[in-house]
Amino acid sequence: MALLEEPIKEVRTIKNYIDGEWVESKGEIIDVVNPATYQTIAKVPISTKEELDAAVEAAKAAFPDWRRTTPLARSRYLFRLKELLEESFEEVSRIQTQEHGKTIDESRGETRRGIENVEVACGIPTLMQGYYSEDIASGIDEWVIPTPLGVFGIIGPFNFPFMIPLWSAPYAVATGNCVVIKPSSEVPNSQTRLAELVEEAGFPPGVWNIVHGGRTVVNGMLEHPSIVGITFVGSTPTGRDVIYKRCGDTGKRVIAQCGAKNFMVIMPDCDVDRTIAAMMTSFFGNTGQRCLSAANAVIVGEDDAFYKSFVDRVVEQTSSIRIGYGLDESVQMGPVRDTEKKDRIMAYIESGIKQGAKLRLDGRKNIKIAGDYPETCFLGPTIFEDVKPDMKIGSEEIFGPVMSIMRVKDLNEAIEITNADPFGNGDSIFTTDGKSAREFQYSVTSGNVGINIGITAPMAFFPFSGMKDSFYGVLHTQGREAVRFFTESKVIIQRWF
Amino acid sequence: MILHTASEGITFAKKLENDSADFYENLAQRNTQDAEAFLSFARDNKKNITQIERVYYGVITDAIEGCFAFNIDPDDYTLKTAVQDGANYADVLDQAVEIERKIIKFYSDAAEQSKPLMADVPRAFMMVARKRENRIEKLGSFLKS
Repeated sequence: MALLEEPIKEVRTIKNYIDGEWVESKGEIIDVVNPATYQTIAKVPISTKEELDAAVEAAKAAFPDWRRTTPLARSRYLFRLKELLEESFEEVSRIQTQEHGKTIDESRGETRRGIENVEVACGIPTLMQGYYSEDIASGIDEWVIPTPLGVFGIIGPFNFPFMIPLWSAPYAVATGNCVVIKPSSEVPNSQTRLAELVEEAGFPPGVWNIVHGGRTVVNGMLEHPSIVGITFVGSTPTGRDVIYKRCGDTGKRVIAQCGAKNFMVIMPDCDVDRTIAAMMTSFFGNTGQRCLSAANAVIVGEDDAFYKSFVDRVVEQTSSIRIGYGLDESVQMGPVRDTEKKDRIMAYIESGIKQGAKLRLDGRKNIKIAGDYPETCFLGPTIFEDVKPDMKIGSEEIFGPVMSIMRVKDLNEAIEITNADPFGNGDSIFTTDGKSAREFQYSVTSGNVGINIGITAPMAFFPFSGMKDSFYGVLHTQGREAVRFFTESKVIIQRWF
Repeated sequence: MILHTASEGITFAKKLENDSADFYENLAQRNTQDAEAFLSFARDNKKNITQIERVYYGVITDAIEGCFAFNIDPDDYTLKTAVQDGANYADVLDQAVEIERKIIKFYSDAAEQSKPLMADVPRAFMMVARKRENRIEKLGSFLKS
């Protein structure tokens, strides 16, 4: 199968987008590597605190006028952005594959999910309407007006370079705020292209800013007195111990969407074909680098014949997954993002073996890569059986293509071990029995629950939820909750004499 | 090689549309009596591509199993688009009908395989398949006239 054309053809040094201008950074410049080819595709700055401050000042200066721009007019900027995104759909998708490694179908899916958030935010004239009560006392009326707050910081992760900042940014600007986005420095091209389209859509200078970088930029956001709130997607230690705590210290609003260890409960009455198809995408899609990837497959029941035949089929299907560069349309799983992540995943595989799990499929060996690419970031899918919840591979977030199979006697035990896990991001059940499904969704302490759904990703008009160690904050990104997060309720009580 | 991913399925559909459009454009040059009809078939093929791409780009999402959407062997749908030297009008119309049948089979099979995953794509496939059934009738009428 021929390779789709790469949109990034030459190595350029990415600039920050501050106050409507593309500005060279004075910070250190590092390489951005395509994980499939292991070639440098861009250079990205690790911006300085002064550069972040300039972006925040620009956003602060733009806020009063932007706030006064009517919601209807603001939505029209988003409509223009949506049109530009549709026109650039394929280019934006291929950039994601080139810089992240995911397959082209996965990238297109990510682009679509991102655009859907822009579409939902286009409805801001009605989404941010307040409410009104007449005669709360004699001759006195009361109403609430959702008002924007100022400047928000948005910190993006590496695994969904295009979509995740769009869980927040469209709602932030639609409600009249201004944003400073820090994309992951591993995958900065997608947000840079997005900012170019934002510029083309004609957003006023300072409303939408991008500052590339690392800890300096993050710390600068957390400390900056003019930033009123932060949205963050990343690991639990950073989300909980750094972002959430320091936002508390500095009085900022916060949405911290963190790590996960997702359980997929498989009942013996499940539709086997459809369940296995869903498992392939859920465990190995995005090379397992998804906070909604299933990690533990919990097979319910004491029927040994069912268990054996089900697992054999899973192993057989997994073995057929085609690995390679995601711009080859036939590829079903790309590389992991970088060697550091690959090493981390391999260490987990090693720990699984040491702790006594049974290795059914070893992704470290005999990796068959479609095409002539270095093995550097590639890893095959791995399957363990006999995994216990207290093993590292059964309890910690691996963030890679590793399936840990557990076996339990009944649904209650499955729910028990699911709930005992400290994370609560996206757990699912596969069954044809409504009572089991209802019991699972009712009892499980998880923010996003799937019933015969492998990837429990909420649509843009629903909140992207999370519980326990998977989420720190109150309101979530996307939809109406995002509108509430980016606005404060101003309550008016009025009487005329 | 078996086609599995959604992207491969859509690209293969486009290839069938483009190859058959080329065939009809060639036919229009060789057979002036029904040239306009053949050219309109070719134009319709381009519209089919637009329609299929539009629905695919509209529904592709990580909620579906995009990397395991199809199980298509392209060899089952190989089109013979080269017109043999010395073929008469009846022969090329038969060839056109054969092409249409192959493409209908592709769309029907692909729609059936992807139905559990995607609502809009199988529907678009079946719409194109139905249009092609009408085209077969029209090709038959050319021979009678």
